[in-house]
Amino acid sequence: MSTTSPSLGRMSPPLVAPRVTQIVAKTLLWAATALTVGVLVFIVAFVLRRGLPYVTGDFLTEAPRDMGRAGGILPMIVGTLYVTAVAVAVATPLGLGTAIYLTEYTRGGFLTRVVRFGAECLAGVPSIIFGLFGFVFFVITLGMGWSVLAGGLTLAFMILPTVIRTAEEAVKSVPPQYREVAYTLGASKWQAIVKVVLPSALPGILTGIILGIGRSLSETAAVIFTAGSSLKMPVSLFDPARTMSVHFYLLAREGISMPKAYATAAVLVLAILVINATAYGLMHRFMKRFS
Amino acid sequence: MIDAPYRGAEVGERTKIEVVDLSVRYGSSVVLRGVNLRIRERSIHAIIGPAGSGKTSLLRTLNLLAIEVDGARVDGAVTLDGKHLLLGEVPLAQLRRRVGMVFASPQPLPRSIYENLVFGPRLAGVRKRVDLDALVESSLRQAQLWDEVKDRLDVSALKLSGGQQQRLCIARALALQPEVLLLDEPCSGLDPISTLKIEEALTELSERITIVLVTNNTKQAARVGDRVAFFLLGEMVEDAPADRLFTAPSDPRTNDYLSGRFG
Repeated sequence: MSTTSPSLGRMSPPLVAPRVTQIVAKTLLWAATALTVGVLVFIVAFVLRRGLPYVTGDFLTEAPRDMGRAGGILPMIVGTLYVTAVAVAVATPLGLGTAIYLTEYTRGGFLTRVVRFGAECLAGVPSIIFGLFGFVFFVITLGMGWSVLAGGLTLAFMILPTVIRTAEEAVKSVPPQYREVAYTLGASKWQAIVKVVLPSALPGILTGIILGIGRSLSETAAVIFTAGSSLKMPVSLFDPARTMSVHFYLLAREGISMPKAYATAAVLVLAILVINATAYGLMHRFMKRFS
Repeated sequence: MIDAPYRGAEVGERTKIEVVDLSVRYGSSVVLRGVNLRIRERSIHAIIGPAGSGKTSLLRTLNLLAIEVDGARVDGAVTLDGKHLLLGEVPLAQLRRRVGMVFASPQPLPRSIYENLVFGPRLAGVRKRVDLDALVESSLRQAQLWDEVKDRLDVSALKLSGGQQQRLCIARALALQPEVLLLDEPCSGLDPISTLKIEEALTELSERITIVLVTNNTKQAARVGDRVAFFLLGEMVEDAPADRLFTAPSDPRTNDYLSGRFG
């Protein structure tokens, strides 16, 4: 019998009682959580308190007058939704396709690493650079002018890395056995992906899209150069548009009207909250159906 | 050669799957070498052996999953009704429909019992609701699960117990009306009663389809196997009718394994 392990009796007691460290750790963790939630609530409350009193039915349904000093923000609401819709409609298929290719069709080779590295770099590029790129490439070179299309495409490239990374993680987290089951039931690789992998990965994929929507709704720098700052209601994809965040920026920056600026911000914050809540609600219902 | 066996002496004598000089490698590690095995139609061929003997690799080679998923290098020949599988003489989707597979741990897909069962038939082109319903009922009956789930086919398959899930997986494979069923230690995580139900189902099924049963449980091989093959370290040591292998094994290594000297 060897006795190389130290006997318990000879070990020195810890300097601080485990019960005390436990209490300290728990308190610190609680404080971190409380601080996070507190900051979030404070920001939202701050914007809503200043903005909500000016958010009326007319504000939501009228066009702005006198550069935004009076009237509402209906064209901005429409413009924001329009630009975001274009961004999501372009980024989702591109991002999802890339993610599926990287996870299902390459075996972690050189190409995968290059694309992943590229996507990560893209995610770190400041949005104003995207705005500049969009301006030079879409607005000028491709001759789109300031338009919903140019703004939407620029945003699409900006949110693409997020969509790719989250979709990749979601696809990767589907148990490999699901694919094998599909193969043994006569599915081709593509059928296994479409019928088994994607439905299981959908909540994760949607999370990425929701993050993308959030970024698109609130983006200012990338759209001010590409979608423009027209106060008119955008109708076609080639019309210029002013998004709510650009409207807020211009109202506040140029000192046009702080009440209208805060009211716009309040609508924007509420819109993001509502969209996120709806998306997560849908996701929850979907997950219940499938598990 | 008798091509259409009638019930009697010839039943179970016609060759369904033939494995000739089969070697399987993953990279530089050889998991099977020089395996010869004849699997007779409408019989239960049990494959026993300790962990790492290559049983599962053999099974996954028979439906080419080892090549498609695991990237195995395979030499030799495997035939199904005389068609060379390694030469691609049977299209992959058709092969998988004719040769069903059940994994060691139950693998229900995260959807309803009904949707699990119709997954294969739908891919195979069965569209009509009545046809699908009929397949669901008959395959659940064959897997001895119908009575337990017939009133809750729209419930998630993940809500079933482990034994029920495994029988669902057997039923799911049967819904494609396969000629061969490959089972990889199907009872490894199950209680004795669930095991018994699965063994009963397999015995009944073997009247119509060919079954290859990999098992860690020699008693199970003795209970249900018509023939038993013993694998050790990537080689097939012995293949004999079950009663002979268990009473009078011809190779001393088989005897050592059966008497519990290793494994």
